[in-house]
Amino acid sequence: MVYFINDIITGALIGLLYSLVAMGFVVIYRASKVFNFAQGELVIIGGFIVWFTTMQAGLSLWLSIPLSLVLAGLVGYAIERIFLTKLIGESVFSMVMVTVGLLILLRGLVLLVFGPAVRPFPIIFPLKPLFLGDMLIPMNLLIGGIITIVAAVGLSWFFNRTRSGLRMTAVAEDHVVASSMGISVKGSIAVAWVLGAILSTIGAMIFLSGKSLTFLASDIGFAALPVALFAGLESIGGLILAGIIIGIAQSLTTNYLDPLIGGSLGSVVPYIIMLAILLIRPTGLFGWRTIERV
Amino acid sequence: MDPSGVFPTSYRSDRRLIRTRWQFLALVVFMALLLLAPYLVSSRIIAILNMMMISAVIAVGLQICTGYAGQINLGQAAFMGVGAYTASILASKTGLTFLLTIPLAGLSAALFGFLFGLTAARIKGFYLALTTIAAQFLFHFAVLNLPSTWLGGSNGITVPPAELFGQRFVSESSQFYLNFAVTAIMVAGAFGIVRSRFGRAFVAVRDDDVAAGIMGINVAATKANAFLIGAFYAGVGGALWAYLIRFVGVDQFTLFHSIFFVAMIIVGGMGSIVGALIGVFIIRIIQEIIATVGPNIADSVSFLGGDIVFAGMNVVLGGVIALFMILEPKGLMHRWNILKSSYRIWPFPY
Repeated sequence: MVYFINDIITGALIGLLYSLVAMGFVVIYRASKVFNFAQGELVIIGGFIVWFTTMQAGLSLWLSIPLSLVLAGLVGYAIERIFLTKLIGESVFSMVMVTVGLLILLRGLVLLVFGPAVRPFPIIFPLKPLFLGDMLIPMNLLIGGIITIVAAVGLSWFFNRTRSGLRMTAVAEDHVVASSMGISVKGSIAVAWVLGAILSTIGAMIFLSGKSLTFLASDIGFAALPVALFAGLESIGGLILAGIIIGIAQSLTTNYLDPLIGGSLGSVVPYIIMLAILLIRPTGLFGWRTIERV
Repeated sequence: MDPSGVFPTSYRSDRRLIRTRWQFLALVVFMALLLLAPYLVSSRIIAILNMMMISAVIAVGLQICTGYAGQINLGQAAFMGVGAYTASILASKTGLTFLLTIPLAGLSAALFGFLFGLTAARIKGFYLALTTIAAQFLFHFAVLNLPSTWLGGSNGITVPPAELFGQRFVSESSQFYLNFAVTAIMVAGAFGIVRSRFGRAFVAVRDDDVAAGIMGINVAATKANAFLIGAFYAGVGGALWAYLIRFVGVDQFTLFHSIFFVAMIIVGGMGSIVGALIGVFIIRIIQEIIATVGPNIADSVSFLGGDIVFAGMNVVLGGVIALFMILEPKGLMHRWNILKSSYRIWPFPY
């Protein structure tokens, strides 16, 4: 029974990590109507920036973490300036296709620059797990979960309550209408990508803390994708619930069902849940149900 | 575009494919050259042509699904994989002739694609596009986790060569004729589909699905049909692939391969069958160059090792997709059409 509860708690915390990565998807979508397929690549670039500032440049953690976040923001800004600013006014389809191109472009670049070698990642959060009675809870995931919840509350307040957040929401509604109302579409998309890159870097720190870093870690982007769709692409607060549900389902499947069937069903369970939910609620749990006009 | 004042006077002449005598001549010469290719060029080039024709079948399917019906499809390699696995299992376990396995491979892939297209009845827009990524993951999961006696697991399946009247298709040039025949049928079929009732429904749904629905088109069924046809093409291409490589493994059908197919239709031009063929030609040549040059560079930059081909392929093709979307989002075919129509109506602007 203790193990069961422990699995549930660990699963929920992993789910919160997925939520944090998925928040990158949602923030970019909420402010630009672009679905960023290259989110996992942003995570891995964030990971390499953190690795570079700590292991390579030898800075202390207190200095390197803020520096990494700034650098990651710059990378996000650069991507937006090079690729996406040029596409404002083109169809959303073009913008999404560019992010598909970015997915393989960034994957290739990371591989060319850093190579396939396995690298140690700095220990950012204490390695020692938290003992609660007989249960043990990984410290990085626990702190990460708290960060995720704080970020979700903060960002959903920003997008739903502040003036600049609502402006960005208007951009997600319609680029042309927003810009004719005097809202800077360019600025909004730039902020979105900076935020997306920073969130991905925080995700990388939590995910990789004390583990090893290779370019394959970007697969977390596809692990987080079902969470974003499950919650609905517009809802930041909903990500928490979606992440916890999917995390627990995955953890229970991996620990109790996989040994029985001898496979890795756990890795596709998020997708199965996502498909099932989308068939019942086509815009996810908390996505906007838009009224379409011709 | 014809010069002003020149109109088709009947429905037949409006929808016909070959409009001038020169076009007919060009088509005949092109087909004749392709048919004679095994006698004209080296077997290395024939091998490349084989790959191109198989990719052409798959890219044309993707063109119908994405370019004509507007449904982003990032699972084309998975659909291809379903076809390849179906063909190889049928060929190796039941010994069916390729005349049956290739269509059956197409049908099984079409069924798999249709399942994802069916969700279109409920799911719309990006959500629908993203479910095709789920197809990719479910396909990998199924192959790797079902009992290995069924699908070969991570070991893959060896495929016996295609055989007709005691003639085995093993040499590059005999496989060339097999691929040529199937590709010609499939491409001709694609031209037929896109100018039929279904093709026009696809274009209407792509341009505005709400408006299409108001005009009486069954939008969900049209989207499901688009996935069905696209996946059928992928399945046939997959079967050809299985007979060409004579081995299928799950690593041949990843998300990256799906994106390579997307790159082909973006370069060629969305919404044009000829565009898809041009895209296949260009992307395959780029891939061929990287695969040849890559290992040479790898010797000087040793820390990358064998990954340089994969990395270089991704950088170049990712860059190509992004560049085309920024500079020429309608693809090379659009540029060619502009050139052609300005030549036809010269010296008048329109």
